[in-house]
Amino acid sequence: MNCETYRQSVQALIEGDLDQEQQRALEAHAATCAACRTLTADLETIRDAGHALERRTPSKDVWARIQLQLTAEPSFQNATAERRTRDAEAAARSAHWNWPVLAMAASLLIALVAGSLYVVNLSRTPAPGTNTAARGNATSGELVQSIESELDQAAAHYEKAIAGLEQVANASDSPLDPELMTTLKANLGVIDQAINDSRTALKAQPTSQLAQESLFEAFRRKVALLQDTIALMNEMRKGNQAGAARVAESLNKS
Amino acid sequence: MSDAGRAAEAELVARCRSGELDAFEDIYRQYSTRLYNLAYRMVGNAADADDLLQEIFLTAYRKLDTFRGDSALGTWLYRLGMNVCLDRLRSKAARQDQATDMLDDRIGHTAHETRLSVNRLDLERAIKALPEGSRAAFLLHDVEGFDHHEVGRILGIAEGTSKSQVHKARLRIREFLRQPAPESAKHGART
Repeated sequence: MNCETYRQSVQALIEGDLDQEQQRALEAHAATCAACRTLTADLETIRDAGHALERRTPSKDVWARIQLQLTAEPSFQNATAERRTRDAEAAARSAHWNWPVLAMAASLLIALVAGSLYVVNLSRTPAPGTNTAARGNATSGELVQSIESELDQAAAHYEKAIAGLEQVANASDSPLDPELMTTLKANLGVIDQAINDSRTALKAQPTSQLAQESLFEAFRRKVALLQDTIALMNEMRKGNQAGAARVAESLNKS
Repeated sequence: MSDAGRAAEAELVARCRSGELDAFEDIYRQYSTRLYNLAYRMVGNAADADDLLQEIFLTAYRKLDTFRGDSALGTWLYRLGMNVCLDRLRSKAARQDQATDMLDDRIGHTAHETRLSVNRLDLERAIKALPEGSRAAFLLHDVEGFDHHEVGRILGIAEGTSKSQVHKARLRIREFLRQPAPESAKHGART
């Protein structure tokens, strides 16, 4: 190897791009050539000196200047305005989805459902001293219509309560874990089936005491489940693990 | 860069796009010193480097929509910063009607048997005297520590071209430093 060949390969040598055989050939030449040895050492020194150059720092007012100019730019102002609008809307939504508010609303709806069921129950239960014969005077058609109307009213409240619960349960900050939600949904499904069966039976026999009681019992179970769910959310949100565990246990038994 | 790192950068950029000044300040704090040093050594003085840094970040904000996350945010900023620096140098050169490739024809292979001793001020002067292309490659590779692949991406050149430019830069710096220092440099060194 001569100096010209060495110089052509010295870059690859410094970069570590040569295989062992090529590297040995260059090193053999450098061992006998002071100029090529010095060239390599100089290039390595320059590389290392570049890496060791001190860091300078920009003037402290550069960011202030950037900030000033940026905030005066229409594109920045538009982006900021759009973000603030989005934030305000999100805050409004967050307030709407605020779980304690929803929980309270759901509780009220459940109370309404419970109240409706109580009224429906009262209407189904003869008052003391009532002449059962008088009830018998009502036509079968009127009775069926009355029962269906009352059931529809109760169902409407019931659906609202369910919707409220679903809003709470589906909120992004719902404290309930997915496994528990699966259990709850399974239990709700069982109760829904019982409600549907009772409704079918009532349609076939509107005056059937057994069918009525069966339907109201299913409603009561669902109301209790909803109330327990909300109670559980309350306990978890408060960080009361013991209270949450107690409610969860009763839920799992539902 | 890890997926998590890319995701964090993407989120930071998204926040900037939506007008969050804090997010843009985070980017400034993270990259301003490195970009300032690049600008300083490209143009050679502190006042111009401050102006360039401001221009780099304002340009970056205006072009954030073009950041697709294909490369790291740092690489994207360096590419943009280098373009801002080169534009400034070229317009300055055009105004002064002067060539910038001061050492282009001065690569020599003079045989020396004593090893070079490098001090910071001389090295800064030698870097300033480099042609734009090899100065940019040298700064990115030897000073900023990018590998040749990254240098290629930043400068829009092939990896092999980056190696060649860095090597030429080192050879030119060596020749520059091997020359006897002028009296003005000995006594009135610029910092």
